[in-house]
Amino acid sequence: MAEILLEVKDLKKYFKAGSKIQLFKKPFYEKYYLHAVDHISFSIEKGTTLGLVGESGCGKTTVGRTILRLYEADGGEVLYEGKDIAHIPISSDKTYTKKIQMVFQDPYASLDPRCTIADIIGEGIEVHGLYKTKKEREERVCELLEMVGLNREHRNRFPHEFSGGQRQRVGIARALSVNPEFIVCDEAISALDVSIQAQIINLLMRLQKEMGLTYLFIAHDLSMVRHISDQTAVMYLGTIVEIGPTEEVYQNPSHPYTRGLLASVPLPDPDYEAKRTVRGMKGEINSPINPKPGCRFADRCEFACDICREKMPELKDLGKGHKVACHFTEKLNSKE
Amino acid sequence: MSILEVKDLRVSFHTYAGKVQAVRGVSFSVDKGKTLAIVGESGCGKSVTVQTIMKLTPTPPAFIEEGSILYEGTDIVGYSEKQMQKLRGKEFSMIFQDPMTSLNPTMRVGRQINENILKHMTLSSKEATKRTMEMMRLVGIANPEINMLRYPHTYSGGMRQRIMIAMGMAANPKILFADEPTTALDVTTQSQILDLINDLKKQFQMAVVLITHNLGVVARMADSVAVMYAGKVVETGTAREVFYEPKHPYTWGLLNSIPDTANMNGNRELPAIPGTPPDLFAPPKGCAFAARCPYAMKACIKAQPEETCLSDTHKVSCHLLDPRAPKVEPYHVKRQKTE
Ligand SMILES: Nc1ncnc2c1ncn2[C@@H]1O[C@H](COP(=O)(O)OP(=O)(O)O)[C@@H](O)[C@H]1O
Ligand SMILES: Nc1ncnc2c1ncn2[C@@H]1O[C@H](COP(=O)(O)OP(=O)(O)O)[C@@H](O)[C@H]1O
Ligand code: SF4
Ligand code: SF4
Ligand SMILES: [Mg+2]
Ligand SMILES: [Mg+2]
Repeated sequence: MAEILLEVKDLKKYFKAGSKIQLFKKPFYEKYYLHAVDHISFSIEKGTTLGLVGESGCGKTTVGRTILRLYEADGGEVLYEGKDIAHIPISSDKTYTKKIQMVFQDPYASLDPRCTIADIIGEGIEVHGLYKTKKEREERVCELLEMVGLNREHRNRFPHEFSGGQRQRVGIARALSVNPEFIVCDEAISALDVSIQAQIINLLMRLQKEMGLTYLFIAHDLSMVRHISDQTAVMYLGTIVEIGPTEEVYQNPSHPYTRGLLASVPLPDPDYEAKRTVRGMKGEINSPINPKPGCRFADRCEFACDICREKMPELKDLGKGHKVACHFTEKLNSKE
Repeated sequence: MSILEVKDLRVSFHTYAGKVQAVRGVSFSVDKGKTLAIVGESGCGKSVTVQTIMKLTPTPPAFIEEGSILYEGTDIVGYSEKQMQKLRGKEFSMIFQDPMTSLNPTMRVGRQINENILKHMTLSSKEATKRTMEMMRLVGIANPEINMLRYPHTYSGGMRQRIMIAMGMAANPKILFADEPTTALDVTTQSQILDLINDLKKQFQMAVVLITHNLGVVARMADSVAVMYAGKVVETGTAREVFYEPKHPYTWGLLNSIPDTANMNGNRELPAIPGTPPDLFAPPKGCAFAARCPYAMKACIKAQPEETCLSDTHKVSCHLLDPRAPKVEPYHVKRQKTE
């Protein structure tokens, strides 16, 4: 068994969502918390990719940002090579900011328009004092540009002179500049055209092979996640409802939400689409503020029973590391 | 009978930096009660084409250089703003990727739908309110009595798109133009909105012109497809022709870029289309796709390919269809037969 690089245990991140004083009743002060990430656990082996999917607002970015320590966890642990880094302030420790990097969705917003590409890529190198002379640094920038499929001549240009796909390459070069081991890709391809998405996915997979990188790949495009991920986790309202080896999850989706999600994806096959009968699911994601007890998916689930509204289902292993959080997994699976 | 026919449309933007040839000879037609999907990479001229039909692009900077737009047989290219206003809303209606750009954030949604109804129909205010509620129910918003009173920002993205559709449908338009209506939505919400558009199309025999870059969405929605590249339609046909018998290398590239979920084999590299589309300030003299095309020949750089008709509906512009060109196999267009 390969070595586990990152393990998240029982991670929790709540945001204060205001409070309300209820007059006329007893003096009563109710606090409102937005349960962005609510007790989730997963682990990622070195050199592999975990895909994280789910509707917007389900907490994917918060998971990524908490791992990067841009948010402080409210509970649980983030073990990096066995060491809990969740509570080490980012300012007091540079080793992990170097080891863990992030690539963002919006290449426009995440690159400073006044800096040249060389400045943007070189910044991390400077902060971490990786190269001594200016010349060495410049050489490293050129090497990184070539690594991500750009030209060394591009280094003196500005972000607005590049297309969306090229800017995303710059974002990847910037992340790679400090020799990270772990990269959180947060919707890194979502804003790009399909053909360009394929270029970036190929680049990420090539870099992973060459450098042994480990990825947390956050996206809402389920087919791209399937292509790049070794493991896939499905989130719903701050919780993981299903996780396991990618092909297990996609071929035997066992949580009603995962099934609904996959049934919603239109496939590029007109005949199939014309005769397809099950298309997606009803309703919208509930509010994550002070969620009701029980299964978070109960309001949208066609199988919901009393127990679903009382007790939150726990992740149960169906074998091969395929875990599902639903009270009726066995029953639903045996129906088919 | 086609309700809308666009013939050799050319549109340029006259800017300080020069002339952007955004649309360079686009032709297509849409039948009553059918859906045409326009696909292609961003910047290829999809939005400009549709905005030109609706006359939503201001002149200057946008100029129609050539072409005709026949609506029920009448050329509307020369229509005045006043004539267009009559068409917009009543005959044509449009929805966008971001509904917030066309909703007034300070006005309750019910009133916005109401005003739109009164603009196009002669109804008493009581009748208009009744129709507002009817429209809201039609697009799947329950309890319109209460939900009418909400402001746009209190709605989710999917619900706002429903409200936009309710406004657009208020006067029973004949053609709905939908410019990336689901691109900003989650797959689950996307699926619901697509079903809604399909239901309305059937119920009202409405034609739909759908712009998208998602080929899955095209497969679900389209009766016919126009594939655009750098301001031109490079391949057009019925959905079955374009998906199962594609003949243009760009269409092959688009289809191949999607991961094949039917038969995955691990770490296979995706056949991406290399490079990026050309600059429309100075489009190439020959085929605009030549720089990215694995089959480009000398002829491709010299001259633009003519359109070849493979059937009444299937038309392709590529030199490979010339009898003198070498026979090539599409690198592997997959027929994604999903069980
Ligand atoms: N800094 C923040 N302050 C308050 N609420 C937040 C903050 N960041 C995210 N949230 C809320 O947490 C939930 C999860 O958000 P996010 O992690 O961005 O979801 P996703 O990336 O899956 O779309 C959302 O309801 C969002 O509104
Ligand atoms: N107002 C404008 N001024 C100058 N160029 C424009 C303007 N609007 C669009 N364009 C250009 O026209 C081309 C087509 O744009 P568009 O139709 O929006 O593409 P698509 O919708 O296919 O992404 C692009 O190259 C774009 O830069
Ligand atoms: S626990 Fe109950 S409500 Fe939740 S997904 Fe399973 S059946 Fe549905
Ligand atoms: S005309 Fe030539 S360059 Fe253009 S798509 Fe056909 S083969 Fe490729
Ligand atoms: Mg996010
Ligand atoms: Mg557009």
